[in-house]
Amino acid sequence: MDITQYFTDYTLRTITLGTAVLGAICGMLGSFAVLRKESLLGDAISHAALPGIAVAFLLTGAKDSNILLLGALVSGLIGIWWIRGIVSKTHLKTDTALGLILSLFFGFGMLLLTYIQKQPNANQAGLDKYLFGQAATLVESDVILMSFVTGVSLITLLLFWKEFKLLLFDRNYAMTLGFNVKFIDGLISFFIVLAIVIGLQTVGVVLMSAMLLAPAAAARQWTDKLSVMVLLAAGFGIFAGVFGTSISASQSNLSTGPVIVLVASAFVVVSFIFSPGRGILFKQLRLLKNRRELELQKTLSFMYTIVRKHDDISRPHAIKILNNFQGFTKSTLAQLSQKQWITINGSNWSMTDQGFNAATNLYDSNKVES
Amino acid sequence: MMSAGLEIQLIAAVTAIACAIPGVFLVLRKMALISDAISHSILPGIVIGFMITQDLASPWLILLAAFSGIITVVLVELIQKTGLVKEDTAIGLVFPALFSIGVILIAQNANDVHLDVDAVLLGELAFAPFDRLIINGADVGPKSLWIISGILVLTLVLLLAFYKELKISTFDIGLSSALGFSPVILHYGLMSVASVTTVAAFDAVGAILVVALMITPAAASYLLTTDLKKMLVLSVLFGVISAIGGYWAARALDASIAGSITTVLALLFLLIYLFAPSKGLIAVLIRQKRQRTEVSLLTFLLHLNNHDSIEERRVAHLQEHINWQKVRAQTVLDLAVQNNMITINDKVVSLTQKGLEFTEKALEYIITNKDEKIEDMKDDFFLFRG
Repeated sequence: MDITQYFTDYTLRTITLGTAVLGAICGMLGSFAVLRKESLLGDAISHAALPGIAVAFLLTGAKDSNILLLGALVSGLIGIWWIRGIVSKTHLKTDTALGLILSLFFGFGMLLLTYIQKQPNANQAGLDKYLFGQAATLVESDVILMSFVTGVSLITLLLFWKEFKLLLFDRNYAMTLGFNVKFIDGLISFFIVLAIVIGLQTVGVVLMSAMLLAPAAAARQWTDKLSVMVLLAAGFGIFAGVFGTSISASQSNLSTGPVIVLVASAFVVVSFIFSPGRGILFKQLRLLKNRRELELQKTLSFMYTIVRKHDDISRPHAIKILNNFQGFTKSTLAQLSQKQWITINGSNWSMTDQGFNAATNLYDSNKVES
Repeated sequence: MMSAGLEIQLIAAVTAIACAIPGVFLVLRKMALISDAISHSILPGIVIGFMITQDLASPWLILLAAFSGIITVVLVELIQKTGLVKEDTAIGLVFPALFSIGVILIAQNANDVHLDVDAVLLGELAFAPFDRLIINGADVGPKSLWIISGILVLTLVLLLAFYKELKISTFDIGLSSALGFSPVILHYGLMSVASVTTVAAFDAVGAILVVALMITPAAASYLLTTDLKKMLVLSVLFGVISAIGGYWAARALDASIAGSITTVLALLFLLIYLFAPSKGLIAVLIRQKRQRTEVSLLTFLLHLNNHDSIEERRVAHLQEHINWQKVRAQTVLDLAVQNNMITINDKVVSLTQKGLEFTEKALEYIITNKDEKIEDMKDDFFLFRG
C-alpha cells in the first residue's frame, strides 16, 4: 500500500481520520471507565443504544445519522441511569444490572428493528450497520462531528480535571469537600455514553466495549499517574485506529472494526507482558532473581553456622556436608566463590575472611534485631 | 405431530428453563456478565467448526462452540490472576477479541454460505421447527427441542446432585473449601453448564436472548425472595411466562420472537423492580422517606429534651432553629403527636412521659450502640431496624 493514498483517497483518508479520532476519545474516556471499575459499562451502553436508534427512525422516518445518534444518546443515557438506579436502590450487583440493561434494551431494540423492517417504507436498509459497524460508511461530516465531540470532551476534561481525579480516587473526600458529586458523576457518565454512541457507526455495538477498554487497560500498565495514563490511552487508541484501518484496507474482506479491536488487544498483550513496572515478564525475572538470592543466602548461612563452630574460619570442609538439608547447589557455590566469599579446593570449600564478614553482617545483625 | 406455533413455544419455554437455572447461580455469584461474554466468544468456535466440517448442522459446531466458551472463562481467569486488571476488565478484553477473530474468519472463509453474524447473534426462533430430527425415517420433532431438552435434563441432574455444594460455595466460598468441596471444580462445572446451555440455546434463540433469559428471571426473583429454592422456582416461572407471552406478542406485532420475549422479560422485570414488596423501588423510596422522617423526629425530640425554656419550644421557633422546611416540620410534628410523644399547648411543644422515655432510650442507644436497648422500638420505627 502506498502512503500517498492517505492524501489522495477520500474514503481511506476519512476512515483513517475517523478511527483515529474515535481511538483518541475512547482511550481518553475509557481510562475513567476502567479506573471507576466500570469496564463493562461500554458493552451495556452500546447495546442499550439500539432501541434509541430504532425509535428515532420510527419517529422521524429519516435515516439522518445525526438524528439516529441523538436517539442512541438518549437511550444510552436512560440505560446508564437505570443501571445506577438498580445498583443504588436494590441489592442487585453491578454485573447483574449491566447484564439486565444490555440484554433487555437490545432485545427491545431488535423487536423495534424487525417491526420497522415490516413497514412499507423500505427506507430502513442500513440501520443494522449500527449492530456490527461499518467504518466504510463514514463520511467527512461524521468525522467533523466526532472531532467536535472529542474537542468538547477534552475541554471538559481539562476544566474539571481536579474534580474528576478526586472523585476517582477518593469519593468520600470529594463529598466532604462539598463537591457536587452527583453532577461530576453525571458529567463523566454523559461523556462516556457520548463516546460510545459516536463509535457505534464505526465499530458497532459488540466491539465498542473493547475500544473503550483495551487502550486504557494497556496504558494502565505503563504508569501510575492519571494524566500520563489518559494521554497514553489516547495514543494507543489513535494507533489502533490508524493501524487497524491500514491493515484492513490492505486486504479485501477484512472488516475494519474487528481489526482495530485486535490491534488494540495486541497492545494490551504487549503491555501485560513487557511493561517494566507491572508486566509479567519483569515480574517473573524479579521472582527468579529473588529465588536465586534466597538460595545463595541459604548456602551462605548454612556455611556460616558450620564455620562459626571452629576457631579457624578458613578451615576447609567437605562440600558433601553441605548436602544435609540440600544446603547448596552448584550455581550457589560458583556464585559464592566468584564473590570470593569462599574458595573451593577439590571437594572442599573454605570460607574467606571477606565471606565471614559478610555472613556476620547478614545473620548476626538480624539476630540482634529480632 | 404438533403445530409449528406450539413447537416454537415449547422450544422457547424449555430454553427459558434451561437458562434460568444456571442464571440464578451466575447472578448470585456476581458473574452475570460471563454469560454475555460466552455468548459472543463462541463465534470463532462455530466458524472453525464450520470450516472443518463444512456442515452447519454438525454436532462438532456445538462442541467447538462450547469449548470456546470454556476457553473464554479460562482466559478471563488467567488474566485476572496476573492481577494487572480487575475481573470485569478481563471479561471485557477477552470476548471482543474472540468475537473479532470470529467475524474476521467469517469474512475470510465463509462469506458465501449462510453463516452471517446477524443469524448467530440474533437467532430466529421462527425457523427452529423447520430443522427436524429424523430417526429411522420417522419425524420425531424439531432438532433444537431435543438438544435443549437434553441439556435441561443434564442441568437438572447436575443441580440435584450438587445442590448442597453449589449452595454453600455460592454463599460462603471459604466454608465450602473448608468442607472439602473444590471451589475450582464447582466454578468450572457451573461455567461449563452455562457455556453448553448458552451454545445450545443460542442456536435456537440467538445470543442476546440467551443473556436475557439467564439474567432477567434470576434478577427479578432475587428482588422477591432470598430463599435459593424459591428463587429457582420463581426464575423458571418467569422464564416460561415470558417465553409464551413473548411468542404471542410477536405474533400480534408480526416481529422477531426473540425480541418480543426479551421485551416481555423487560416489562416483567420493570414491574417487579417497581413494585416488589420490600425490595422494589417504590418500597425502598417509601422506606427511605420514612427513615428520613424518623431521623428528623429523633433530632427534634432530642432538641426538646435539651431545651427547657418556652422560647426554645415554640413551634415557629423550632422550624427556624432546626432549619427544616415547613412541610417536613409538619410531618415530623404530626408523627410525634400521633405517637403521643409530644403535646402542643398554645403553640408550645412539650415532651410527654412517653416521649421522654423514648428519647432517653434512643440517646442511650446512640451512646452505647447496644441493640437490646431498642428491641421494643423496632416494631414501630424503621429507623431502628437497620
